[in-house]
Amino acid sequence: MIAKHDVLVVGAGCAGMRAAIEAFDAGADVAMISKLHPTRSHSGAAEGGINAALGNAAEDNAEIHAYDTVKGSDYLGDQDAIEVFAEEAPGDIIQLENWGAFFSRREDGKLAQRPFGAAGSPRTVYAADITGHVLIQVLWEQVCKRDIPVYEEFFAWQLVDHEDRCQGVICWDLLHGGLKTVGGKTVVLATGGAGRQYRVTTNAYACTGDGMAMALHAGLPLKDMEFMQFHPTTLYPTGILLTEGCRGEGAYLINKDGERFMKHYAPNALELASRDVVSRSEQTEIDEGRGIEGSVLLDMRHLGAERIIERLPGSRELSMTYAGVDPIYDPVPVRPGAHYHMGGIETDNDGATEMTGLYAAGECACVSIHGANRLGGNSLMETITFGRRAGRSAAEWALSHTTVEVPESAERDAEARLRELLDREDGERPWKIREELGTSMLENFAVFRTEEGMTKQIEIIEGLRERYPTVYVEDKGEVFNSDLTQAIELGNMLDTALCMVTAGVVRKESRGAHARPHDYPTRDDENFLHHSITRWKDGGIELSKSEVRFTKWEPQERKY
Amino acid sequence: MKVGLKVWRYDSVSGERALREYEIDAPEEATLLDCLDIVKDRHDGSLAYRKSCRMMICGSCGMRMDGAAVLACKTRMYDIAQEGRVPVISAMGNLPIVKDLVVDMDPFWSKFKAMWPWLEPGYERPDDGREYRISQERMNVVHKEALCINCGCCVSECNAMESDPEFLGPQALAKGMRFVGDPRDSATVERLERYNQEHGIWDCTRCYFCNERCPKGVDPRDAIAKLGAESIRLGIDRDMGAKHAKWFVRSAETTGWLREEELIPKTQGYVSAIKQLKFGASLARHGKVRPVPIPHTARDVGEARNLRKVVRGQDRQGALGHVQGERALARLAHGNAGESLEEIYARPGAAPRPFLPGEGQGSLTQADVTPGKEPTRKRGEA
Repeated sequence: MIAKHDVLVVGAGCAGMRAAIEAFDAGADVAMISKLHPTRSHSGAAEGGINAALGNAAEDNAEIHAYDTVKGSDYLGDQDAIEVFAEEAPGDIIQLENWGAFFSRREDGKLAQRPFGAAGSPRTVYAADITGHVLIQVLWEQVCKRDIPVYEEFFAWQLVDHEDRCQGVICWDLLHGGLKTVGGKTVVLATGGAGRQYRVTTNAYACTGDGMAMALHAGLPLKDMEFMQFHPTTLYPTGILLTEGCRGEGAYLINKDGERFMKHYAPNALELASRDVVSRSEQTEIDEGRGIEGSVLLDMRHLGAERIIERLPGSRELSMTYAGVDPIYDPVPVRPGAHYHMGGIETDNDGATEMTGLYAAGECACVSIHGANRLGGNSLMETITFGRRAGRSAAEWALSHTTVEVPESAERDAEARLRELLDREDGERPWKIREELGTSMLENFAVFRTEEGMTKQIEIIEGLRERYPTVYVEDKGEVFNSDLTQAIELGNMLDTALCMVTAGVVRKESRGAHARPHDYPTRDDENFLHHSITRWKDGGIELSKSEVRFTKWEPQERKY
Repeated sequence: MKVGLKVWRYDSVSGERALREYEIDAPEEATLLDCLDIVKDRHDGSLAYRKSCRMMICGSCGMRMDGAAVLACKTRMYDIAQEGRVPVISAMGNLPIVKDLVVDMDPFWSKFKAMWPWLEPGYERPDDGREYRISQERMNVVHKEALCINCGCCVSECNAMESDPEFLGPQALAKGMRFVGDPRDSATVERLERYNQEHGIWDCTRCYFCNERCPKGVDPRDAIAKLGAESIRLGIDRDMGAKHAKWFVRSAETTGWLREEELIPKTQGYVSAIKQLKFGASLARHGKVRPVPIPHTARDVGEARNLRKVVRGQDRQGALGHVQGERALARLAHGNAGESLEEIYARPGAAPRPFLPGEGQGSLTQADVTPGKEPTRKRGEA
């Protein structure tokens, strides 16, 4: 063990940094571990905005925000968590602004708010279309102010589960090499999503589900893993995100004839329907031959140069760089791409997991406020509100307990496993398995799902998992061995993907992002109004369910 | 397409450097980063470089291509491959190399932290527990600085840092301006005092390489200029650099030409100037300065004075005098100034004009569906 702390935060994106700041302010000795430098975290790539019912642009309140979120979740969100979320969100936004966040402003000097999909009021606070970047910067500034130590470019690999509590993390030191164990009275996982399981994704290379996999391998339950959100506007062919803010500012979605096809699917909300609805509509257009080369068009021409440049400069830059299209003159080819994991490590409203001393927040966690479908702008808000809550409760527990102990055997076992992987002299290079996973997930577990496709996908993943023990790390050095960490990441993606598809097959209904139009086209509250729970047991997956927590909203038909 | 790359490999354990050449097959839309991925996956797994977002926002993949700093993910390879060029890829400059294309960012971040890179809450703090009320216009002063993704491309190219490794450098100073220009910050004077010290703003050589190479349009040199202007505005002008700048202005508005022989005493003081008499004599001998200054006033000095008056009259003192990039990303070329929407729709090869089903093709007259203040009207309509 190289060091110990009261609170150890794994992951340094918005949720991780917010948790660390809160734990620090609660008086704990806190440190962060990240496989990247904190400002490289993928929270920074969020574009459109962050939702809080400030009511600056139109009348709004926490109750409407909560209702929109419950409805958006297709009634699978836990309503007590959603109420906490909606009520605490405005205070958290004000705090970020007071810390110096560079948000866009209204003429009266207050924070500007823009309309977003499935929201009853324009409640998305934003910074042009670089909102995530602005949040990452302000949180990093606050981390610097508090001088919170960061174990940078430490790849977290295994949780230390000792005497029935989590007491630290075993990491690979990417910059210098070697396994290093950092002890913590409490550990907060804030490692983000796993979109790299798909060939077309908005996610960074770093989004490989490491935290979910660590928790899974430690025997913890993952909740609602079948719900992977497909963002409706990702650039063709790269999958790079174009913000929902484009549609918030008034952009149209058109098919090859110029028809605003959303009129057929969501006659009232049109382009600003919920993300699952828009993605399905696009996919239908493409599948039925009304797309162009596997995409539809995002048309901003009518917004005019000035508005595009002022409100959506980043989207324009991305379109020009990666699609060669200037949205002032031409519509941008877009299609649905894997974007956000609604599911994750099961936590309570304070981020606590089933394991004493282990907490989780952000995309890797499932509180759950997103249920079967997340609303745009709610995930950044979740990282802040639940990052803060997890940081607070982790600090409180740590400050009332004293010891940290990591048994030598844990480090020895990890070392042996690592050597086994690193010393392998031949075998298969990881990229092929990674590409097969990405392609097959997109084919069989994307916007639309079928029994046949999912069954086939489980077989494919099992086959890839059988090949995985032969992967070969070509780089044998200690310094910046990203060949090694990429091989470990592949294992994490395979195991979490298996959880997703396994949970998906047994959910014989269509709800939110889990759409089965061919065999189970409707929502079935009678049989499936529950969370799916997946656990790792004896080298396989054990499925179970847990109750959805209701407060005041009865499930209703969902129309936009 | 076939892409050739030459990569400077570096092994920090053995200290060996080697230029390795790779030829790969890549899709036409491939970026430099995609190409490096192909090399690493299929040709040489030991190649080391940083990457994450691949959409030019995380700042991980700064490196040099043919000697100039770039973000690998922003650099499309198609044209280069078509020309048959084989670019040389190497690690960023001014930072110690760890392995291959990976540099040690510690010196970078320690300078960042030396700037007090956080808001010191200020005078206008709202007492109603809400956000500060600040116009967008006032925030725009530091719009460009807020775009910085800390990739290090500017630091890599900084000529001043090459000769003085302790120079705070373009990215740290741009971060400093981010707060000096923020109306919510109350530590402006303390900050400027700090940034005015040795290795600070006045040590910049104004080569403009940072502006040239920044992949996000932050224009760090402009930020440094703004810091200088703010310093002088607030009377923080003890540094020779500040005095030098002030003398230029003074000289221009009094006589309309630069009185070089007064420059050294005004900038460095009379004692220092006397010590440099020998140097001055040498300059005169070589015809670099006039041996005997002839007092006169430039013919059109009135113009210089009027210009100064105009600037003062606009109340654009200090950083506000620098207006060139309030919307940095807008610099991406576009020529839509005079075109109406109809003209855009009618361009040759244009995508079909949008219409709502159930109404006539081309109709854009339906009620606006976007909740919000401004309706999305057809351009050119009343």
